[in-house]
Amino acid sequence: MSGNRSNDFVRKAGIALALLLVFYLCIYWVQTGWDAYKVRILNLSAIYIGITLGLNLCNGFAGQFSLGIAGFMAVGAYTTALLTMSPQTKAAVFFIDPLIWPLNSIQWGFLPALLMAGLVSGLVGFAVGAPAIRFRDDYLGITTLGFAEIIRVVFTNTRSITNGALGLKGLPPHTNLYWSWTFALICILLMTRLTNSSYGRALKAIRDDEVAAEAMGVNLFYHKCLAFVISAMMAGVGGGLLGNLITTIDPNMFRFPLTFTVLMMAVLGGLGSITGSVIAATLVTVAMEVLRALEEPRVILGVFLPGIPGMRMVVFSIALMVVILFYPKGFMGDRELSRDSFTNLAARFRRTFLHKQV
Amino acid sequence: MSNANDFALVCESIAMQFGGLAAVSNFDLLIREGALYGLIGPNGAGKTTVFNVISGVLNPTRGSVKLFGTDITGLNPDEIARRGVARTFQSIRLFRNLTVLENVLVGHHLRREATLGEALLALPRYRKEEQDMMKTSKELLQDVGLEDVAHYRASALSYGQQRRLEIARALATKPRVLLLDEPAAGMNPAETEQLMQLILDVRDRFNLTILLIEHEMKVVMNICERMTVLDHGQIIAEGSPSEIQSNERVIKAYLGGGAIARH
Repeated sequence: MSGNRSNDFVRKAGIALALLLVFYLCIYWVQTGWDAYKVRILNLSAIYIGITLGLNLCNGFAGQFSLGIAGFMAVGAYTTALLTMSPQTKAAVFFIDPLIWPLNSIQWGFLPALLMAGLVSGLVGFAVGAPAIRFRDDYLGITTLGFAEIIRVVFTNTRSITNGALGLKGLPPHTNLYWSWTFALICILLMTRLTNSSYGRALKAIRDDEVAAEAMGVNLFYHKCLAFVISAMMAGVGGGLLGNLITTIDPNMFRFPLTFTVLMMAVLGGLGSITGSVIAATLVTVAMEVLRALEEPRVILGVFLPGIPGMRMVVFSIALMVVILFYPKGFMGDRELSRDSFTNLAARFRRTFLHKQV
Repeated sequence: MSNANDFALVCESIAMQFGGLAAVSNFDLLIREGALYGLIGPNGAGKTTVFNVISGVLNPTRGSVKLFGTDITGLNPDEIARRGVARTFQSIRLFRNLTVLENVLVGHHLRREATLGEALLALPRYRKEEQDMMKTSKELLQDVGLEDVAHYRASALSYGQQRRLEIARALATKPRVLLLDEPAAGMNPAETEQLMQLILDVRDRFNLTILLIEHEMKVVMNICERMTVLDHGQIIAEGSPSEIQSNERVIKAYLGGGAIARH
């Protein structure tokens, strides 16, 4: 019996390792072989997968309607940027107000900087979340939205830390596919483990009925904070990766539309579905780039059409409306794609088309 | 009168005021350990308010609630649940998007020992705990006759099944005192009969003290040993079923005695 079980464990671990190996080989192939534009889109996809999953944890699984994700991304991006930039670059960038000590003289590796970004945004997440989660629904949304704006305004005005509206330039381009997809993988793994655990069930219970959850002994404050903080940490690390990918950040990057983009990904995929978030984050990121073609001037059937900036957003809005009409709960609802769903699908197929009882 | 520690649940002169409205005033309650106690009264008498005060949803304006001699007045509902008071709701409040089994598993969450870290890394203690939870949850579902629908969404159950699931979920918290808010509401006579049997079984098997709210007098008369009758937030009678049945104020409150019943 126990021999069987350990055999089973070895087999599963073997499969997982093999899959990982194949995955990283693919990444190696893409990173070295593909052109920079495509690599960049894939980097963005991975980063958005992680951030969308974080938002989904808070908004989808725990049912806490938070709109502060851009704020947490800003905290993470600035933390990572200030820790990874070289002292020389910092001196050059902060030419109006010099950067305060000790930030002006340190330079960390990417990994500790990202971990610090997660930690700092987690702390900020707690500081914001702890008072805000007394509110529900729209009120929580408005409060967290306000927080994100406050972060942006603060970052615009603390010139000796963030260089104000000028932003930071010359961030070391550390982010590559290994970093971003490892981040995405860790987020997927974390979310899968969390949502299937006892803690995850408690979060879903809070989403479905707060009063009943509390009567069943679920500590609302602890569990809501948990969702909020983990969500903020994921957004923070994602923001850090994003900053070091595009190498320039400024406060205006982290306005409301950024939150909206991530929210759209989560809603399209299905609030409460991990697979949904992964699919939608990838789709939307890729579509954002592909649809750029719409904004270029071109000649169709002999007619010259001038490029209209913002055209892809119009297309996006229409697509979003269509999806909401036909899939009110997003692509996946709150279901997941797993091995079981494939077996079920196969069984259903056999029942319907081959009239066989399975 | 004997010592307050002998009782499972004691309410001392509880008053609950909503603005100018006294929903409950001067409410006293003494329930012995292992008792099946009824709380009855016409609509709007304040029965559910009493439940909400005991389970911590409301903080009483005056008075105190004691559980096995410890004061639990004003604690948060989750803390009260942890100390051993579980409840069901008058209007069913299940976790609708979770499966039947998951609903019961949530009830186990408060007795967890494994930390979040252990859960995320799937360490042995967490895995063992999860297995135990799964086992007892399935047993509980068997007890209330829902084992066949364990993997259905809770919202897909019939009304009577949802009522039974609420009881199973409450039992999963390993309570010492169980509060049932109109468990037979909306059930047909056959279902009601089954439910009364279930309540009696559950009390004996889990060594529970049960406080039962019922709107229908008939239901409680059969299974409760003692009961308190509320009307307009005031206790109008207290005693055994036969005493209550012959009590004039109770009859008037139920049949509409007008001004006489209302002091």
